[in-house]
Amino acid sequence: MSATAERPGRETLRAALRSPILRVIAPIVIMLVGFAIAQPRVVSPGNLLNIAVQASYLTILAAAQILVLLTRGFDLSIGMTVSLVSVVAALAMTAGGHAGPEAVLFGIAAGLGTGAAVGAINGALVSLVGVNPFVVTLGMFNILLALSSIVSGGFPVQGLPAGFLSLFGGTFAGVPVPVAAAVLVVLVVHLILGRTVFGRSLYLIGSSPAAARVAGVRTRLHLWAVYVLCSGLGAFGALLLTARTQSGEPNLGGSLALQTIAAAVIGGTRLQGGEGSALSAVAGALFVTVLSNGMDLVRVDSYIQQVCVGAIILASLVLDRWTAARRS
Amino acid sequence: MTAPTRAMRGHGGWALPLRILQDGGLLIVLIVLLAMITGHVQPRFYSRLNMLNMLREAAYLAIVSLGQMLVMIAGGFDLSVGVVSALASVVAASLMAMLYAGGGDVTVTMILWPVLAALAAGAAVGLANGFCVSVLDLSPFMTTLAMTSVVAGGTLYYTQGIPIYGLPERFGEIFGRGSFLHVPASVMVALVFLALICLVQRTTPLGRHIYAVGSKARIAALSGVRPVPILMLVYGAAGLLAACMGLLVTARIGSGQASIGASLVIESISAAVIGGVPLRGGSGRAERVVLAAIFLTVVSNSMNLLRIDSKLQTLVQGSVVIIAIALERAFARRRQS
Repeated sequence: MSATAERPGRETLRAALRSPILRVIAPIVIMLVGFAIAQPRVVSPGNLLNIAVQASYLTILAAAQILVLLTRGFDLSIGMTVSLVSVVAALAMTAGGHAGPEAVLFGIAAGLGTGAAVGAINGALVSLVGVNPFVVTLGMFNILLALSSIVSGGFPVQGLPAGFLSLFGGTFAGVPVPVAAAVLVVLVVHLILGRTVFGRSLYLIGSSPAAARVAGVRTRLHLWAVYVLCSGLGAFGALLLTARTQSGEPNLGGSLALQTIAAAVIGGTRLQGGEGSALSAVAGALFVTVLSNGMDLVRVDSYIQQVCVGAIILASLVLDRWTAARRS
Repeated sequence: MTAPTRAMRGHGGWALPLRILQDGGLLIVLIVLLAMITGHVQPRFYSRLNMLNMLREAAYLAIVSLGQMLVMIAGGFDLSVGVVSALASVVAASLMAMLYAGGGDVTVTMILWPVLAALAAGAAVGLANGFCVSVLDLSPFMTTLAMTSVVAGGTLYYTQGIPIYGLPERFGEIFGRGSFLHVPASVMVALVFLALICLVQRTTPLGRHIYAVGSKARIAALSGVRPVPILMLVYGAAGLLAACMGLLVTARIGSGQASIGASLVIESISAAVIGGVPLRGGSGRAERVVLAAIFLTVVSNSMNLLRIDSKLQTLVQGSVVIIAIALERAFARRRQS
């Protein structure tokens, strides 16, 4: 108590840092200004649009990751789910040899179905068998990595129908489809988390599984469903990414799992579960994208970029701890 | 009345074999089975060369897995073990190459100082991890992930991805191809660490404190165990052990490389988990983790000898981990009921 009285300035600073709007927007704006001073091209309309498109994929995948993080889970296999879905959807689309709408629909269905199936297996192992999500999705990472390179033979699947490319990679009312899709996904996830019993249950399961059971939440069913939803959203993101690369890529998702977790945590989601929101996916994804885009344009060596990203993640974690220190 | 009796009798009959299977017996059975099958199909499996090769590979994995185990017992993770071994490789190799090119005459110091510097670098990264996790109270996952990014970026920037050659031959002769009492040097190092950690786990207060910190941090604090020094110690040890493995591999391949240890994180966590260390921490035995490291090495060696496609190997490795843990969970439930 005395500390508060003695150092009101520091408390005000803490309070300011705690306000979510500021915490989300300030660092991104500061970075943009900093990079713009070094290289004005960073804030050109073309590059800003580029940042928005790049960030939208990560936003969707981070939103998927946040769903399982809320329940104290993990999905380390999300990147490999993206790879497998990309390959499967592309193969399904090109299998018939004709590029009609039904081929596109078949490809989309195959992709989403693959994602849901992966999620169903992850979810069953986590919720029914009771295996730790870290191990399940780590093992699944290897399995999906192998499957996507076996299914594709290790080569990109070319020749996607034009209909698919314009549906997932074009523009919608002047807005690039990925950006519109990201907005839609964030809105839906936000509503699920805030307005549905399922969403509220996820928070409860994450903050106290025992309390959730006592409160009559069907923990196992919810846990299973959240992994299906996570991989399903991952599959949707994979279709968008496939349209961007214009081919089914077995190497599409290499480091995506770690990127999504980093984005979620930077955005304010906690790995201990029970705390996080759809908006933290947007914030985290924008942060990561602005950082890497800015460093690219300022011509920072790619290895030094790696060092900077690590250091900034650590700094954001420390800052987060510092602002949360006296919250309780 | 009859149903519970039958259930109890059934349980009694199964209890002993189940316990033996759980205490590492299952791993031994699997290793022997695998060896018999592979040896039958491909007699080269039993050749002296292949056996030595397997022992060395198992030793590398075991050394890193022991460090990973210590961290996991204390309730953490170390995702940076792979890049730490690469860091040690690069530090030792660049110093040695520099001294060797400058001096000409091979002295003990030319090898000793670079080795010590590499071990210190590994331990320093580990201690930094420990500091973030214990003093700053950050999540082990995010801390070691961020550290991986920093260290990997640093070593890759320094080497630009090019191997460092020009190491003194003595270094390779001693630690790479050398042997001590007819045991390859790397196996000897692994055995020394295994013995040391077994001793610490079974007989010292330090060993008990590591378990205490992992099982319930708050209770440990109440009973007088201070988690901060223990956590610093286990992360430091994990860094040191990873660096040690990096040095041994460097001596074996004769060059310093920033790319060694890429698959070490997944493999060491798999070994610890298959060896029975729960992810929430609090228990785990060094000898079982080493057994699991041997098991994983035999699996991958067998698949190589049987000419199984490398993609399928990845698939098998992933499945092995999941199946092992699912089995462990099933056993644990049976015991509880």
